[in-house]
Amino acid sequence: MDRLERLLTLLMILLETPRPLSAEELRERIGGYRTIETPTAFHRAFERDKDSLREMGIPLRVEPVPGVDPPRDGYRVLPDEYYLRDPGLEPDELAALHLAASTVRLEGVQGVEALWKLGGVVPSDDEPLAGGRAALPGDPRLPALFDAVTAHRVVTFTYRGRPRRLEPYRLRIDRGHWYLEAAAEGTDDLRSFRVDRIEGDVATGGPGAFTPPTDLPDRSGQPWELGEGPAVTARVVVDADQAPWAQQHLGDAASVEQRPDGSIVASLEVVDRDAFRSFVLTFLDHAEVLDPPELRRDVVDWLEQVP
Amino acid sequence: MSRPGASERVRRLLSLVPWVASHPAGVPVDEVCERFQIPRRVLLADLDTLMMVGLPPYTPDTFVDAWVEDDRVVITPQWFDRPLRLTPEQALALVASGTSLLAVPGADPDGPLARGLAKLAAAIDVDPTALDVDLGRADPALLELLLTARRQHRAVELDYYAYGRDERSHRVVEPWQVYADQGQWYLQAHCRHAGGERLFRVDRIHDAVLLPDRFEPPAGEATLGVFHPDADDPTVTLELGPGARWVIEQYPCDAVEELGGGRVRATLRVTAPAWLERLLVRLGPQARVVDGAPGLAGLGRTAAERILARYRAG
Repeated sequence: MDRLERLLTLLMILLETPRPLSAEELRERIGGYRTIETPTAFHRAFERDKDSLREMGIPLRVEPVPGVDPPRDGYRVLPDEYYLRDPGLEPDELAALHLAASTVRLEGVQGVEALWKLGGVVPSDDEPLAGGRAALPGDPRLPALFDAVTAHRVVTFTYRGRPRRLEPYRLRIDRGHWYLEAAAEGTDDLRSFRVDRIEGDVATGGPGAFTPPTDLPDRSGQPWELGEGPAVTARVVVDADQAPWAQQHLGDAASVEQRPDGSIVASLEVVDRDAFRSFVLTFLDHAEVLDPPELRRDVVDWLEQVP
Repeated sequence: MSRPGASERVRRLLSLVPWVASHPAGVPVDEVCERFQIPRRVLLADLDTLMMVGLPPYTPDTFVDAWVEDDRVVITPQWFDRPLRLTPEQALALVASGTSLLAVPGADPDGPLARGLAKLAAAIDVDPTALDVDLGRADPALLELLLTARRQHRAVELDYYAYGRDERSHRVVEPWQVYADQGQWYLQAHCRHAGGERLFRVDRIHDAVLLPDRFEPPAGEATLGVFHPDADDPTVTLELGPGARWVIEQYPCDAVEELGGGRVRATLRVTAPAWLERLLVRLGPQARVVDGAPGLAGLGRTAAERILARYRAG
């Protein structure tokens, strides 16, 4: 019996069984295991098969086998956890999803297998980006965070050296970085966490642990708006030549006043002063902080220290 | 061609069986091969294996019925009649790519992608608003104009701000490719002014005018350009404090040496003097030029003085 047949038979039995089955019971039922001679070799093969099933995303449950003493691990797959609900996609909808997956890649994720599950790959004549392509940054912790956001699981991780326990509401990409919008458990203190700055792994709790707010504010996530502490409003003038790209960069984050000479004055809400100064200085001498005086002084002090 | 491993074959079969089974009259072998990107030989071998799969007590009615007849695959499964759910990773990748394309200017909010995405999200219990993904900030009208120019092979006149050189210029370009990467939109084009291929950041295009004249697009697929410093660019070596370590993540470095206490010495290529000026004034006391081409060491200080002059006058 080859391994493909053994894996398929194993999966079928695990899906079909009304109670958890022990490794030994599985060995009796599956020809591919019975022909393995020593118990050690069988256990090695069984471990490898379990790993393969888990890698495929099959929700393999480990539960005690009922009514045996001493207790023993049993295995099964619950059909409700295994099967995908049929989304009922029309051919043009599947083609559009396929095109999206091949146009926009998420780094580090093989998109094609998801399409197999939805009915395979179909050609399309449409050209959403006129043949252009795009890449979204990847992060190994994204799938767990996305699962936590969608299943309303509490997440715990370390951020800026402190352990956090959060209700995650939304994942957002801004300027090439993923942010998690979340509030400390049991509070409505909404904050953004840059995913690539999460230290170490993300642990998640059980599903349905909270109800997310229905009215998440539209956050621009400018670096100077992030962090903890009170915000001050700063006014910055940007010269005419740089004004258009400054405005595009600021997006909706700032209220902007146009001046007759083509320059602009942008009002920014500043929490992180280092990030604010860094932004203003990218314009070299084409921009200037007008007020408040403390932020203006901060820029001058900084410039005097440039070696 | 390498033989796919057993897990990959299982994964493919588990997806292919429900789809074939949803066609009671069967499906042509070639169509299955195309949809599931599987060589004919592998498909036929896997179907042979599938027919061997049954449940104890292994009576005929416990086996999967799968056969090939008149070059059509017919499967009537008692098991695996629906596909395996998506892993969180797959769900994320699909929803993110769909959502981000819908955010591109010109996308049809009621088109097949929007409908397909909504159905998919409902089937996997995902609230599509749990993701807020856009490929990058860009003026929708400008992006639309560039995409049109690329599609119709029409030249575009750009008013462009070259960040590295800190200057504005007018030039006529032939758009080859428009794409987004890491949150930025780029235009890859042949620049008639420079006589060669150039990469432009869409957010630094002040203005663009679609010209009537057409151009011959390059043969074959254009490779996407990325920021590559030139090997001939001069180098600079900086000593960076702990607060300036982001520099080594953000820019390609020729050499990086840890100095202890979070300090690091890094050698970078200087693509343009204005680029280094900006970097040095932003890093301030967190960076010191320790080595480099003549003329580079004093750039930070001179730029700081220039900016300070503005503040003193104001």
